[in-house]
Amino acid sequence: MTETELIKKAQEGDRKALTELVKRYEQTIYNFSFKVCRDREKAEHTMQETFMSMVKSIKQFSGRSKFSTWLYTIVSNHCLMMARAQKNKYHASLDDENSLIDESHIADWKVTPEKVTENNELKKILDEAIEKLPYDYRIVFILRDVEGLSTAETGKIVGLSVPAVKSRLHRARAFLRNELDKKLRNE
Amino acid sequence: MSKKKISCKEVMDYICDHAGESFDSPKCREIKEHLNECENCKHFFESVDKTISFYKIYNVQIPDEAHKRLLSYLGLNDE
Repeated sequence: MTETELIKKAQEGDRKALTELVKRYEQTIYNFSFKVCRDREKAEHTMQETFMSMVKSIKQFSGRSKFSTWLYTIVSNHCLMMARAQKNKYHASLDDENSLIDESHIADWKVTPEKVTENNELKKILDEAIEKLPYDYRIVFILRDVEGLSTAETGKIVGLSVPAVKSRLHRARAFLRNELDKKLRNE
Repeated sequence: MSKKKISCKEVMDYICDHAGESFDSPKCREIKEHLNECENCKHFFESVDKTISFYKIYNVQIPDEAHKRLLSYLGLNDE
């Protein structure tokens, strides 16, 4: 059955179609939630709330956007709600764009991206770096760079103009690179 | 570095703006030429590229138990 047919049936109250939609997207939503929260328990909670919102409001899905874009909007909102609940957590300030790039000495990183699947120390470094990034920057970086959505789609999901998405992306990339550089420049 | 037409800072800003895209703007040739002759910027380009790749490759699988708890939470049945 095509996704459009499944959505139509789910909107008519077909529980099997609803279950099938959940199964098609649970991995994507769980993985996205983990990439934002960096915590399996929080990722599961966010995923549950995302699909509960989907079940409750699927009749409102008009089909004007892709279904995945609609789900990314819901999960991003739940991630931001979770972020507000832990507002005392320290995040770096990214206001001064000029301080994010220091061209004086850029080291070569020997470690290759494939190592991340087998290296827990590297995973810890990646977790710690992105945890310092404010959630609104983190979500833009993950949607655009990690999930591979277009800049326009990312903007639509987070309610930002294309130039505003580009600005956040620029800062997020530079910030994460700097954080990783502190640990990886001698690896 | 001062003899180059385009500054390292400009190149690094451009890399952060366009990471993950193909460099096909009119400015592209100048950027590529700079990258060919400037080790510092080349390392910067590679490290931004690796930063994105690290987070792309670092994925987690939904555990079976989490899948079951999800369906139960939603009142759905997997049969």
